[in-house]
Amino acid sequence: MGAKAAKDPVPRASIPLNPVFNWSVGNWMEVFYDGLREGKIMGSKCPACGRVSLPPRMICERCFVKAEEWVELPSTATVQACTTASVKVAENGDLVDLDAPEIIAMVKHDGADTCIAARLEGKEAAVGTKVEAVIDTGAENVLDLLASYKAVG
Amino acid sequence: MDKEVAIIAYAQLPYEADNNMSREVMVLKATRAAIEAAGLKREDLDTVITANNDYNDGRTISNMRLVEPAGSWHKNESKVEMDGTFGVLYALTRILSGDHDIALVVGESQASVYGGILPGIMMLDPTFDRQRWLLNEVSAAALQASAYMAAAGVSAEQIAAVAAKNLDNAALNPFALRSLKGADAKKVLASRPLYSPITELMTAPRCDGACAVVMASAKAAAKVEKPVWIKGVGFSHDSYVTERSLDSMGSLKLAADACYRQAGIEDPASQIDLAEVHECFAHEELMAYEALGFCEPLQGGVFFDSGATRLDGKLPVNASGGALGANAEYATGLARIIEAAMQIRGDAGRHQVKGVKTAVAHGQTGICAQENIVYVLGGE
Amino acid sequence: MAKNEVAVVGVGLSKHVSKRRDVNIAELVWEAVSACYEDAGLKPKDVDAFATGNMPAFEGVNLPEEWGAGHWGAYNKPLLRITTGGTTGGSVAHGGYYLVGSGLFDTVMCIAFEKQSDGNSTMGLNTVALADAAAQLQLGVDPGFIASFGGGAVGVAVYQASSYMKSSGCTTHHLDKVSALCRNNAALNPYSHLKQPGLTPEEVAKTTLLQYPIRFGHVCPATDGACAMLFTTGEKARKLTDKPAYVLSCASASDEAALVGISGSGTTNVDPCEQESCKIAAARAYEIAGIKDPRNEIDLAEPYSPFAHQLLMFYERLLLCDEGEAPSILDSGSMNLDGELPVCPSGGVISTNAIGASAMERVAECALQIMGKCGERQVKKDVHKAVAHGWGGAVNLNVVAVLSDTPRR
Repeated sequence: MGAKAAKDPVPRASIPLNPVFNWSVGNWMEVFYDGLREGKIMGSKCPACGRVSLPPRMICERCFVKAEEWVELPSTATVQACTTASVKVAENGDLVDLDAPEIIAMVKHDGADTCIAARLEGKEAAVGTKVEAVIDTGAENVLDLLASYKAVG
Repeated sequence: MDKEVAIIAYAQLPYEADNNMSREVMVLKATRAAIEAAGLKREDLDTVITANNDYNDGRTISNMRLVEPAGSWHKNESKVEMDGTFGVLYALTRILSGDHDIALVVGESQASVYGGILPGIMMLDPTFDRQRWLLNEVSAAALQASAYMAAAGVSAEQIAAVAAKNLDNAALNPFALRSLKGADAKKVLASRPLYSPITELMTAPRCDGACAVVMASAKAAAKVEKPVWIKGVGFSHDSYVTERSLDSMGSLKLAADACYRQAGIEDPASQIDLAEVHECFAHEELMAYEALGFCEPLQGGVFFDSGATRLDGKLPVNASGGALGANAEYATGLARIIEAAMQIRGDAGRHQVKGVKTAVAHGQTGICAQENIVYVLGGE
Repeated sequence: MAKNEVAVVGVGLSKHVSKRRDVNIAELVWEAVSACYEDAGLKPKDVDAFATGNMPAFEGVNLPEEWGAGHWGAYNKPLLRITTGGTTGGSVAHGGYYLVGSGLFDTVMCIAFEKQSDGNSTMGLNTVALADAAAQLQLGVDPGFIASFGGGAVGVAVYQASSYMKSSGCTTHHLDKVSALCRNNAALNPYSHLKQPGLTPEEVAKTTLLQYPIRFGHVCPATDGACAMLFTTGEKARKLTDKPAYVLSCASASDEAALVGISGSGTTNVDPCEQESCKIAAARAYEIAGIKDPRNEIDLAEPYSPFAHQLLMFYERLLLCDEGEAPSILDSGSMNLDGELPVCPSGGVISTNAIGASAMERVAECALQIMGKCGERQVKKDVHKAVAHGWGGAVNLNVVAVLSDTPRR
């Protein structure tokens, strides 16, 4: 804050808000989470155009029909984009330095048409790398079931 | 559109990391300055559109306390919860409908009020990505950059050079928050690493700021000196960030195509004299060159290397320094319209480009430029 | 005069209940949107632009269409997000009117919704006032005084209700009658939330007193629900349907922001029942619509009334009678489904309140009544012109739309 600002500061009040939300994930995402619990990767398929969404979506956005078919997808995927993170988001919204860099990638499962944003194990990655999902079926929180991806072989 | 709606005045406040004003005082200053620049009184306004966001402002119904400062008391007021460029679209339709003649559009936010990039994280799919804390505006943009670099063969140095160009231009813009006279790619690459390839100086710095434009129907603009006409507009929504190809800006291309059709632009590279694009990250400017038809797909890096988009090039882009110079969200795109209008009027001061008759202004909202809007503006 | 005549050719509503745990936000909204496409006989490919809105603090999702609009047919289409708090749905419908009226777009899908069960109502409502309360504390206003206005919307409503009762002669019995009227109408509406067939004013009078004069029976529920409407040009509408509902005009107006009765600058006392901006918006809308005598020309009204007294108060502020006359008009039976000027045949906001959607549902009901699609709750008289209203903000925003069975001349 500059000298001018310090002279006549605007009144400030800091209000901490810590709301809790109860989002329904819906029946399609429930199939996805239930599948992961059994080690399966379930995608939804549009009966009209065949497009496979992973995570699943109730509606195919291109055809506007219910994606009512289910496909079990292989655990293998291809890196579409990747980044080495030197920072993470702190609770107050600031970007703070990580102790060790992490890799975040957009991966597309074989047979799927949409991507999952995920953490990659290891220190390096490149677009086009083949990876496979690491599923932690014992994870307490459903959000941790799809733990990460690692390079194939 | 042929001389149906004009931008007749505008105002920006200097963009600051913390401008030490209440939001209301900030909006009042921008509003007053714009109305005065138009030679009007508050009473002359028919409709007022504010562009802001409940999360950025840290308050529900972020427009309700802006009634007095935005001059909308007893006026036809509404709010677009998108960048101010979309507010201009709404005001445009209100004027074209014939119900209103004079409109004011204000865009504002104060990054000093609400935590950093949290509002962007709240845009993510709440049933999955939102709760995994991997994606945010910066990490998603880094993935976008990664996909684009792989597809187009663009290097981190080229992206850094775009940032250097804009930060150097920003040194000539008195409203800019961040500028680096004589900046080069090396300096940009050496700044704080965030998510590769993105370093701090490749990001649009969030800050406090507001800007406003006054728009008028042909009838109301008849006596105005140097009106800037809206010749075309196009906008489009894109798919959610994990459901689209990140190596190009699909919805920006759709928006540009629709806009050019309306404006009668067949060869943008030769018919457009200058562009102000809303690049939240340096690489997005390269992607925008392609989507706006300034060069062929995947040729953004080559086009940049040709020097065409520099201040002295044949199609200067972001002569103002663009969003990399200042990013008061929800005002950032609106500032692009203002900067383009200033260039057409010859009022841009030290970063004035000679002979600008037709200019493009671009605005965006959402993660990885999910919503895009494009205007073609022209003088008499 | 709008370049294009504007008409409504389709309306879609989701189920409206307290909690929809089986669908997420985007899927809930899809129910309304797909019903709307079906009603109009159109598909996403026929739509030129989208307008959408909700009150994002309730669900804790910022710009929910960024994730959800793929479920609504907005793939690669122009999309405009308009949000104005309680008036959001009305504001989105106004957006549809202007987008079509401008001549830039022929057919526009308008979508408004709220899924309150996903949310945190403390966050949703308190952040309306928190920043203001904090600012007033800074200015030295007594915390007890500020707290006395608390309780979110109910807190404001009791002051508004008692002020209205003082100036109009409205009694608590009138409030009970309004609730009974609306909840009985709601019982005939498959898309309403609180259905109470046969409810009597006497039963309403026995519900818990929240804060004088407002009882539990005078207050809206919290609802999960969505509403969608298709707007198109008059020309296209006449090809699609024999009986479109034309939107003759839209107008809005805003008063001083005065959530706790004190204006934003802290210098003015504002009577929350005055609602000057509603009168201004109504007068503006009637003028554009070519309506000179709203009392005789308007056949049906859907005022936005989450609290019982507001139905009467806004009936007056919509210039449908003199100030203070509404209670006796209620007594006359004129507001009933078979009356001279039926009010809230849908059951109103007091029966169903998916906040972001509510002000659009007022416009939707007017359109449906004009189109004759209301089934059991279809009013007895022919509806030629109807007025839809929305209210919100810091007690200060009002939106008004006038619909008709014939286009504007």
